[in-house]
Amino acid sequence: MNGFRGSTAVVGVGATDYFKRGTSPLSSAQLVLQAILRACDDAGADPRSIDGFVSYAEDSSEGLAIGAALGVREVRWSTQVWGGGGGAVAAAVNAAAAAVFSGQANCVAVYRGLSEASDGRRAFSKGHLGHLYAAHGVLAPAQVCALRTQRMLEVDGVPPSALEAVALAGYHHAQRNPRAVAYGQPVDHDRYQASRLISEPLHLFDCSRENDGATAILVVNAERAGDYRGNPAYILSGVQGAAAGWTESAENEDRYTSAGFHPALVQRLWAGAGIGAADVDVAQVYENFTGPAVAAMIDFGLCPPGRAAGGFMTVENLTVERGRLPINTAGGNIAEGFVHGIGLVAEAVRQIRGGSPNPVADADISLMIGGPMAPLVSSTLFGSEATV
Amino acid sequence: MTAEQSTAVPPDLTRTVEAHGKAVATGDNSAVLADFLPDRIGQLIASADVPAQLKGADVRAITAAGEGRYDAIIRYTTLDDQWFELRSRWARFDDGSWRVFSVRNIPDTPPWMDITGPSPDGLDTPHWEGLRAGLLLLQRCRRCATWTWSPRPICPVCHSFDTGFEPVDPVGTIYSWTRTWQPFTPESTGHLPYVVVLVELPAADGCRVMGVLAHADGLTPRIGAAVRGEIEQPPDDRHWPLLRWHLEEQTR
Repeated sequence: MNGFRGSTAVVGVGATDYFKRGTSPLSSAQLVLQAILRACDDAGADPRSIDGFVSYAEDSSEGLAIGAALGVREVRWSTQVWGGGGGAVAAAVNAAAAAVFSGQANCVAVYRGLSEASDGRRAFSKGHLGHLYAAHGVLAPAQVCALRTQRMLEVDGVPPSALEAVALAGYHHAQRNPRAVAYGQPVDHDRYQASRLISEPLHLFDCSRENDGATAILVVNAERAGDYRGNPAYILSGVQGAAAGWTESAENEDRYTSAGFHPALVQRLWAGAGIGAADVDVAQVYENFTGPAVAAMIDFGLCPPGRAAGGFMTVENLTVERGRLPINTAGGNIAEGFVHGIGLVAEAVRQIRGGSPNPVADADISLMIGGPMAPLVSSTLFGSEATV
Repeated sequence: MTAEQSTAVPPDLTRTVEAHGKAVATGDNSAVLADFLPDRIGQLIASADVPAQLKGADVRAITAAGEGRYDAIIRYTTLDDQWFELRSRWARFDDGSWRVFSVRNIPDTPPWMDITGPSPDGLDTPHWEGLRAGLLLLQRCRRCATWTWSPRPICPVCHSFDTGFEPVDPVGTIYSWTRTWQPFTPESTGHLPYVVVLVELPAADGCRVMGVLAHADGLTPRIGAAVRGEIEQPPDDRHWPLLRWHLEEQTR
């Protein structure tokens, strides 16, 4: 543990609606601005007092442009995290916390917005599947994650039912979230099994699909949290990184079936918060695809590896009613909506702050796991007031 | 149910397939789409490569494919009296009708993608030039002899700037695989589904390279199976040669 633990907090969450991709009436920048303004409303914050901006995955809305549109008094921190896709989503939260903790900014907006009309298709993976992939017909992250997932199933022995449980848990939770794209469209075992294959072993319902939309949170110093409305979600610990041998290298990663959360990184996360895997009350596990989400839970020790993963990864265990570890409680990327995982940050915060469509009773420790199997991975632990 | 009965083709399926072939041949698109399972119409449309105009259709075979599904091979004649074949898999839909579950051109052929050849940073240019010369070349440090794939600006082990490329015997084992059904790009139409394998190469200290597994129609690859790479020449000079992988006979 160190001075960073609990020294910053999220005091506002804002989100736009999710739109089917390409149908947002607002541009990408307007979506981001709407999300930030709603976060300010949630916090009772003056939008002009925001002095920091952080995003990731080549967001098309630069912090300075967003700051100018808001008419902020001063931009003191404007940062984007390197690394493709949603691997950096939690790293963006951590960067905001680092800025506030070090006194370089007072109120930092972390945001992600996407509009296909503004940003084009597959903005999450631009430039990340180069010629050595594409020439061989590997053009989509689904295919890369399928390759890794197939080995996790076939060699490590993780049963396919673990993937299905992640998908069904998300769809289950989405039925109580009117904002979710899958609201009113439940998926059960039969519908999952009958769904078309995308890239084996991944079915349609194993895959997140891009939406138009945006979400933002506000990070401030914990000592100032009382100046804002509502319960703060304290940032207990955060990590980002890539181990040696875990980088973009045309599928030559060490620990190929891992999600990239190497043991030292996971240990740093727990040590920073002074807790362990068993203390997590609720987790938002980034499911670009279900296979990587399972691999991430194994990396974090939330679920046993190999064949035994099947015993833990059941819909019952992963859902709020009776689950040992509810995950993706607003529906997740797969069933709530996918804007590169930023919606999972909002839900991780809401489990502490309030406002989740599926609140976990007495949740004190809320884990956010960023894009698994990405070249850069990241994670953030949020805690309630009782934890600090 | 006896074995004979279980493999018998339901008469209503035969009628449906015959009508489907005619609908495709006459360009009756609404009839064709009505034969597709509704949850995958886009995937099915983009899977098969079918010329805009056809002269005729001939149902060559309908055979049981397990799980109550059937495979139909339909031969289509083109305006210049050439022919090609599609194999469609049929399943009973909720409403009792037979619907197309999947479809592909046969025989299976690997796709040729628009994105190919040297990467913009040029690091892998010798690899592509090697394929044109009939060799699989991977990066290997001239100082410490470490194999590195994909290539990097310096050797990540000894930091030498003297990186080179050396030929590798394209023989190895399947490290992982995926069969792709989704048309992620127009170039894949006519080649779906195709199998991509990640191959571990003992001759390059276990470096792994990707490639399409040739003749993978109807087989399920197995991790650890022995494969051999063969360089396939491109259909035109816009494309570069590619290594295609073939299962060694004993592991098929």
